[in-house]
Amino acid sequence: MKRKLFLTFFLCFALVFSMQAQNKIEFTEYDLDNGLHVILHQDKSTPIVAVTVLYHVGAKNEDPTRTGFAHFFEHLLFEGSENIGRGEYMKKIQSAGGALNANTTNDRTFYYEVLPSNQLELGLYMESERMLHAKIDQVGVDTQREVVKEEKRQRYDNQPYMSFQAKMFENAFKGTNYEWSTIGSLEHLNEATLDEFIEFYNTFYVPNNATLSIAGDINIEETKKLVAKYFQEIPKGTKEIPRPTYTAKPAKKEVREVVYDNIQLPAVFQGYNMPAQGTADFYAMDMLNTLLSGGASSRLNKELVDKQEKALQVVSFPFAMEDAGIFITLGLVSVGTDVGELEAAMDAEIEKVKNELITDTEFQKIQNQVENKFVSSNATVSGIAESLANYHVYFDDANLINNEIKRYNSVTKEDIKRVANKYLTKENRVVLQYLPKSAQKQPDNTDLNKEDKN
Amino acid sequence: MRNLITCFLLVVLASVNGYTQVDRSKYPEPGPAPEIQLGEYESFTLKNGLKVYVVENKKLPRVAFSLVLDKDPTLEGDAAGYVSMAGELMQRGTTKRTKEQLDQEIDFMGASLNVGSSSVYAASLKKHSEKLVEIMADVVLNPTFPAEELEKIKKQTLSGLEAGKDDPGTIASNVAQVVVYGKDHPYGEITTEETVENVDLDKIKTYYQTYWKPNIAYMAIVGDINKKEAERLVKKHFDKWAKGNVPPKKYDLPKMPEKTTVALVDRPASVQSAINVTYPIILAPGHPDVIKARVANQILGGGSAGRLFQNLREEHGYTYGSYSSISSDKLVGRFNADASVRNEVTDSAVFELLKELKTMENEKVSEEELLNAKNFITGSFARSLESPSTIASFALNIEQNNLPKDYYANYLKNVQAVTLDDVQAIARKYINPDKAHIVIVGKGSDVADKLKQFGEVKYFDIYGQSYTPSAKSALPAGLTATKVLDNYLAALGGKDKLKQVKDVSMTMKGSAMGTELTITDIKKAPGKAYMLLSVPGMEVQKSVVNGNEAAIYSMGQKAPLDEKTKKDLIFKSILYPEMNYDAFGVNSTLTGIENIEGKEAYAVDIVLPSGSKSTQYFDKETGLKVRESASLETPQGTMNQVVDFSDYKEVKGIKFPHVSTMTVGPQKIRTEVVTVDYNTGVKDDQFKIE
Repeated sequence: MKRKLFLTFFLCFALVFSMQAQNKIEFTEYDLDNGLHVILHQDKSTPIVAVTVLYHVGAKNEDPTRTGFAHFFEHLLFEGSENIGRGEYMKKIQSAGGALNANTTNDRTFYYEVLPSNQLELGLYMESERMLHAKIDQVGVDTQREVVKEEKRQRYDNQPYMSFQAKMFENAFKGTNYEWSTIGSLEHLNEATLDEFIEFYNTFYVPNNATLSIAGDINIEETKKLVAKYFQEIPKGTKEIPRPTYTAKPAKKEVREVVYDNIQLPAVFQGYNMPAQGTADFYAMDMLNTLLSGGASSRLNKELVDKQEKALQVVSFPFAMEDAGIFITLGLVSVGTDVGELEAAMDAEIEKVKNELITDTEFQKIQNQVENKFVSSNATVSGIAESLANYHVYFDDANLINNEIKRYNSVTKEDIKRVANKYLTKENRVVLQYLPKSAQKQPDNTDLNKEDKN
Repeated sequence: MRNLITCFLLVVLASVNGYTQVDRSKYPEPGPAPEIQLGEYESFTLKNGLKVYVVENKKLPRVAFSLVLDKDPTLEGDAAGYVSMAGELMQRGTTKRTKEQLDQEIDFMGASLNVGSSSVYAASLKKHSEKLVEIMADVVLNPTFPAEELEKIKKQTLSGLEAGKDDPGTIASNVAQVVVYGKDHPYGEITTEETVENVDLDKIKTYYQTYWKPNIAYMAIVGDINKKEAERLVKKHFDKWAKGNVPPKKYDLPKMPEKTTVALVDRPASVQSAINVTYPIILAPGHPDVIKARVANQILGGGSAGRLFQNLREEHGYTYGSYSSISSDKLVGRFNADASVRNEVTDSAVFELLKELKTMENEKVSEEELLNAKNFITGSFARSLESPSTIASFALNIEQNNLPKDYYANYLKNVQAVTLDDVQAIARKYINPDKAHIVIVGKGSDVADKLKQFGEVKYFDIYGQSYTPSAKSALPAGLTATKVLDNYLAALGGKDKLKQVKDVSMTMKGSAMGTELTITDIKKAPGKAYMLLSVPGMEVQKSVVNGNEAAIYSMGQKAPLDEKTKKDLIFKSILYPEMNYDAFGVNSTLTGIENIEGKEAYAVDIVLPSGSKSTQYFDKETGLKVRESASLETPQGTMNQVVDFSDYKEVKGIKFPHVSTMTVGPQKIRTEVVTVDYNTGVKDDQFKIE
């Protein structure tokens, strides 16, 4: 197999014309022979470059008896490689003037470095080391296991209300691979052997499961050569990549749970199952979300916080994932308000959207809000690199970075009413009422002890 | 350039020969450093004194406006919170618009507008700028301060206080603020239910009328707008803003701590301790030390390559992250180092954290660390320039802090000039682990005892009010130390049985720092004791007591022994001394009930005739001794030694703890009994002293 190097590039220049030349993000994308997808965007305004790699592996790809693996790798893969000593990864990037980090969702794991532009090659070297032969040994596993336990304590166990996400997903996605949270189970991590971690790495951390997205002060042709230099030799993965199929369960009945937590203010969380990101209904739900809680004049804020003074805070957000989604509304009561009363008031606002078409003015307002958000979203090179990778991996269309707004623009007032009726139903939701532990009745605390375990 | 050529050659070679191995054994060399250019800004001043800075950047069709008042902080006293409520209230009604209209018009543009106690921030797409500035000016110039809106804000503030009561982060920042600055300093004031009640419209209106003046205000305009457009907009809407005299305020410096103390906030539900080591420092913006301190802090705790992160997270796995900061401020600056760690390693984590602070003072950092820190700061500086608002904040900082005009132009040059000696000098000046507040929000019963080694432990409530835990009141009436001790002896098996014990022999095994250790402990009445601590192939320490003689051998060598240690050693040779404390001249006092590993225990202070003090804890239910805690003098200073006893099992009718866990500083040694027996007829030879 001796092909000419430049033929190994599968070039596909995406040239799409956009209405707003000012914001047009130009980019180049192609695949290497080993399946690595590469996206390059040039922006010379600041002498920095973001080097990012998105691996298409998240919590949902985990074995249900080994949850937390994907997130654990986000820690483990800073331990070093065959050539990079333990603890050197972070030091090297930072001593080169760079910033680095990573994050994990249910669907993917994302690593990035933002470096001075003359350190582009270093970024490529570091990421290629991580992909080619990361160090996975017992010392690293043992250390990061402790760190992840602290992360869980700091971000969830020791924080008021923060158990909500795990409880919500557990109920809303029961029986699917979205059932567990990204932080996963500490028991599973304790039980896992070193071989299992190595197996996970060999399965998912392969070029054919990765997207290398680079944005910043780069020369496109030089960058292509450097990408080839460091990534071409990485062998294509040989194992089949588990991609669980998601089958939404039909909505049957409302799930309710009372959670006694270390809190003072009661709160209510409602989670409605909704369609996956990128679907037509998702965009309608996102606009419905803006209607409900975008800004002080939004319906929930204006009605519940300002007029009725029942809530200290009301929030809603569509949590959309690759294969499914959940629309969450939450309210913290104001002192003296009963949590049931707040919940009823939240429901009443939802009912209004279901029964009455929104006004033209209100519709124009949420369109303006969506436009503002879309235009403002490409402010940093690291953000651009991440968006390009996301759009490519999820929708096979990186150019959505320029024209996703069209999808929002095609949503009508009727769509908003329709999706409210379709998804925001009692049968389709999980409700968690958070009450202070002090409100807990003493005698019948049998099932309460379950909440205390952590 | 050479790099590029090499790279090009490699690519060409690859095209002929397939894969050429990249030399992965070393890091690639960087290309020539790019030039870091500070963006330009322009400025103008209105007749009323409002200074405006414009940073034009056409990358996105957006414009952001931020207005800041350059005033001395306000001491709010018994109405703490009213200053920030004043800002909120300005956005709740003007002579032209009700709150509802304001909200509606801002949201309709997809814009945002937020008023703080002495600032306003507003941003929108360029096409809405005109309207946005008009609303911004309306809010600043024409607020009506509606009474019913203030009532709403007060109610919301009370609810917010309620929500923060269980948030470890809010609690830690409140209490740290109070202990660092003191309640009589504007930075140390806390909003509470009481102070919210005292807020009224008069205070708010007076505040607004005194301080919201254009002659102390700066506005930064950043985005897709040029100076001409900006000038027209600002003049049109802010020209009518009347200037006025603004009185300056001076404050005394907060009290610097004279020694290190622990401020503990007991949050029984905590599964983690939030640790902050903090104290005030005197460091004003623009002082030459500021840049040096930035470098020193980068090395100590500036990020994931910092010493704190590397030690507490990467080496020990105690925490998700540990960082530090050395902040400058016109009134008074502050040092802070933090970490959130699981309960059981709280003392170890504080120990390691303080150790890193001491090392910064006592030892020079390495050339490599210094270089890495400078590179990182240079990189951060370059990255920060990606946001056009950075240039605006540079301009504002120069103006507000009277910095030289070229302060930021020379910033990187000054970073490069920092030397190893500078870093140590800065550490000695600003890093003071011996004069710090260690603020801990955590589960008191798990952590309090082990924190005593770092300094006096004082309890604070969530608003920074100190209190004495009233453990004594919980004691059953009539209970005395003697009774607790009698219960203990009864729980062991009863005095009659204990009196029959003539000798005890036991061996224990444990491990410390990866080495297995064995302890042999033999006692014989009257007054004979032998203890040997060994690791495979070596006797580490041995102590022998024979009547009035005692000796300690360290690594086989007889070690010098002072009178006090000797007395204590002899006392420890007594079998079950609790039976005769009076006769031995031991003073015992019952001090209260404390929570030990989740169970209530009576605390008894013991003073031996030598003057040595310790506290012993006896389980309320079982009567058994569960902990012994004492101060130790060590070369590293005073440390608290805590020994926990558990797994009591009967041996020939007498209970004996089969597991002991000793904690000293960061070290934890758990030992288990391998063999234990009574009255085996130990020979006197065992206790010979040479």
